[in-house]
Amino acid sequence: MVEALTTTIQVASLLLAAWCLISTFRDQPMVVPHLVAMGVLWLAVIAQAVVSGVLMAQGGRPDETLVFISYLATIVLIPPACAVWGFVERSRWGPAVIAFACLVLPVMMVRLEQLWGPARV
Amino acid sequence: MSESVARSGPGRVLVAVYAVFAIGATSRAAVQILTRFHEAPLAYLLSALAGVVYIVATAGLVAGGRTSLRVAAVSCSVELVGVLVVGAFSLLDPAAFPDDTVWSRFGSGYLFIPLVLPVLGLLWVRRVSRSRAASPPIL
Repeated sequence: MVEALTTTIQVASLLLAAWCLISTFRDQPMVVPHLVAMGVLWLAVIAQAVVSGVLMAQGGRPDETLVFISYLATIVLIPPACAVWGFVERSRWGPAVIAFACLVLPVMMVRLEQLWGPARV
Repeated sequence: MSESVARSGPGRVLVAVYAVFAIGATSRAAVQILTRFHEAPLAYLLSALAGVVYIVATAGLVAGGRTSLRVAAVSCSVELVGVLVVGAFSLLDPAAFPDDTVWSRFGSGYLFIPLVLPVLGLLWVRRVSRSRAASPPIL
């Protein structure tokens, strides 16, 4: 894992969560910019997954490889799943779903970093 | 469209939270049982049970029919009892729980969401049922 990318994903995710929560409280449905932001965030998460995969292939395996891979796979699936689920809901609760996904993501990234290298935490 | 009432609006957020917990608890339990079952069989079996209950609750909320809501209500109740009993036991007898489950220490490892989630689920099921009773479906 690239730590800088993890931090970027976490900050971006929290910003997007804040934006979506503001939309929820202002009673606005989800709009295309929300979806685009979620897409960009998703690309960053995929990039992190690919980089981690390459590093693992080169021998930098975390202790619990199986857990790490399953977490990584789940993380990659969360943004699109929640984006679709939120986009279908044409009310204030659409952005709320996205906000939830964006709050889960940073927590999962912390967990991934812990699995990747306990020494650095 | 009354069948979809349960999963629209705030229900959609609830389903999203439930789905994440269903995936999380089940996959965690699967890994624990497959790799080191002998270390803490009770904790891992409880993790697996929790995962299955979350899956059932998620499915019940998504389907949202009369029977499905009843299924969701029952699984939410099981969750509530589970998190309270396991939470209490994990504090009273930590030796029986050498490794964490979703429900250990009332779900403190998961921001106490496991403790709040079944309550929200039950409130939501009650609200949907009441709104249906007040306005029976046109179909």
